Amino acid sequence: MSPSDPGAWQRTSPFAIVFFIGRTIKSFTQSLIQIVATFGALAVLIERNPQVALVIPVGILAIIAAGVLQYRFFRFRIEEDRIHIHQGVVRKTALDLPFDRVQGINVERSLIDRILGLVTVSLDTAGSATAEGQLPSVTSELADDLRGRIRASRPAKAADDVSAGDVPAVSPDGVTRETSAPAESLGQILLKLRAGDIVRIGFANRNLVLAAAFLGIFGQSLTFVAKRLDPIVEEAFLGAGTLIQVLVVIGFVIGFVIAGLAFSLLGAFLRYHGFTLWREGTAYRTRAGLLTQREVVVENRKIQQLTLSHNLILRLFRRHRLRALPAALVPNQGGAEAAGLQIAEVLEVPLLKGPEAEDLRTRLFGREGHALSLLPQTPAFKRVSPHYIRALTLRISVTSVLIATPFLAGILQADAGTRLADAVLGLTGTTFLSPLLADGVVGPVALGLFLWWLASIPVAALLAWVRWRRQGYLHDDDGLAGRSGFFGRKVDAFLFRKAQSVDVTQSPLQSRKGLATLHVRLACGQVVVPYLDLGVASRLRDYMLYQVESSRLRWH
Amino acid sequence: MFINPEVPLESLPGADNLDWLPLHPRFVRRLQLGALLRVLVIGAIATVAYFLMKGGDSAALGRFADSLLPFALAGFGLFAASILIWPMIAVPRRGYVVREKDILYKTGVLWRSVKAVPFNRVQHTKIDSGLLDRRFGLANLSVFPAGAGGHKIRGLGTDTAERLRVYVSERIEAEAIEPEDDQNSPLPDPQAEASAAHENGPPADAG
Repeated sequence: MSPSDPGAWQRTSPFAIVFFIGRTIKSFTQSLIQIVATFGALAVLIERNPQVALVIPVGILAIIAAGVLQYRFFRFRIEEDRIHIHQGVVRKTALDLPFDRVQGINVERSLIDRILGLVTVSLDTAGSATAEGQLPSVTSELADDLRGRIRASRPAKAADDVSAGDVPAVSPDGVTRETSAPAESLGQILLKLRAGDIVRIGFANRNLVLAAAFLGIFGQSLTFVAKRLDPIVEEAFLGAGTLIQVLVVIGFVIGFVIAGLAFSLLGAFLRYHGFTLWREGTAYRTRAGLLTQREVVVENRKIQQLTLSHNLILRLFRRHRLRALPAALVPNQGGAEAAGLQIAEVLEVPLLKGPEAEDLRTRLFGREGHALSLLPQTPAFKRVSPHYIRALTLRISVTSVLIATPFLAGILQADAGTRLADAVLGLTGTTFLSPLLADGVVGPVALGLFLWWLASIPVAALLAWVRWRRQGYLHDDDGLAGRSGFFGRKVDAFLFRKAQSVDVTQSPLQSRKGLATLHVRLACGQVVVPYLDLGVASRLRDYMLYQVESSRLRWH
Repeated sequence: MFINPEVPLESLPGADNLDWLPLHPRFVRRLQLGALLRVLVIGAIATVAYFLMKGGDSAALGRFADSLLPFALAGFGLFAASILIWPMIAVPRRGYVVREKDILYKTGVLWRSVKAVPFNRVQHTKIDSGLLDRRFGLANLSVFPAGAGGHKIRGLGTDTAERLRVYVSERIEAEAIEPEDDQNSPLPDPQAEASAAHENGPPADAG
């Protein structure tokens, strides 16, 4: 297989069979529930009739055979300006992909690939299924060759990138050119994560925090678990004193947390080991992974929005997480037909310090948006109107009343004769009518709900106040940064000229108080700034529209 | 640090004082007919449900159906009246404006919104009209930028919708950013570009 031989049909290396087996298994098991259900059913069948167990080796053989067949039928041909990929055993597909439609190349290396010096290439395409544009287990020279061809196919795009980026190569006549040849190995290394950083990522796992909180709350139910485990355990457990029972429960909780932590750390190392962020020409690339190494390449000009966030634990570590979001919906240059949906790769830096984040922002935004900041503690962030607290308090307390209604009605309802009707109401989702059925229940339920509502207001107000304190916005001539969060904090920053559409909305309360909410839709999502002064919101909208409409720079 | 934009904000074309174009007058009738059909279907389902509950074996269920009847009738009456009258309130408050560089659409009576989509961000447009729309000679125009967003202007006359679509398509072509421009023209300085484009920009609608 020689990458310098265009026009010939090629196969990938036989190690791609592993990839195809993986893809076959993936196509069977779309969801976790499906897998669990299948294995459950199989286990029951085997218990009744052990001969059914033969299904398992047959199934495994079939999957391997499918992998081999898919490998045999997979061919690709590289031409001057395009790549053809033919694949499929029963349903054949022929992909003809011009290089100027390729948005980027992402590379993944599994453990086998790395030992053998192979890579799995995925071509990010505009508007077609990404799974089709994958070349499994090819040599890394071929990947570099492809990357070179793709870069060569669009000199114009590479040049306009410079206007948004920070490449200083501006010649006297103002024409910007990418002068440097494709970097040999790693270009300019911007960030590397060490083992200590990855341990921090493991500790800051959001799911770990949730699991610990969950166990803390439901730790008591372990008593119940212990009862069912074993009569001996039960006897020992119940025979012991209350103090020992409590200690056992606490021990269980700590054990679970430690196990969860171990898993979280393992996951962090698997995913982020050796994380490196570097710049190569106009693109930013990351590489990470312990066994399977993943590479993400995002062109600077494709980035629509930067999101910096930290949860409580990251905040303790004084670290942040940065995500650069490219357009999710890549427009179709053809025009009339609908653009296909494609989730582009997100450039993620899982852990970085504040100054590093700011440095990256200035690199990614180039000379625009200098006065923006991604750091949530920046004093320049302006608060939104305090009426936001009022609206949010109302929303939270009313929601709590709606949740409480069925419970309260159930507790206060004495008359057993209305149970059937109650069930009907419950099924039709009109449970709130059930108090009407029993005499003397309407009063208590209404009173109870009213008291519940009153009681919930202080809590709701506190929650709303915390949310309001987190909410903020900051803008300069080129862009806007919006801050939000509850436990953690998050800042979304974008350049005005990247906006796709701008909405200004007003609720009845906002209309009365002369306030409005600004929604800026970007190609990767939306940024909302609630409860602004109507004048500020309208002026920001008008200014943003003017920036978008007068900008001659490409937004993607 | 907050920096006030150098471009005087007051002189920017504002979207506050615009002459909003109304939707087609027949659109109210079309929505009312749609609402009437919905009322009839819901009424029919509710009637069937009532007689099923009465005719069933369970006496409790029958009693329950009877006790619910006045509430159901009152609620249904209110619901029917409100959705039949609502278009007469809501439709006059909707409107759209086509400017040189963007298209705006406003909706809402209690919860109001003004949406703006610049032409140089529009990916494609779409006209559609359902069975009822065609009966009234109406069509809906949708404008899609990249990502989620954009708007669907409902209740335009068929001719208006087609004319608008053609105009929007022309504007998209005119506003399209040529990659070649970027390559050959000098690197635009954001400040200079901003002020230059502003002078040539559309005249301020707002006084």
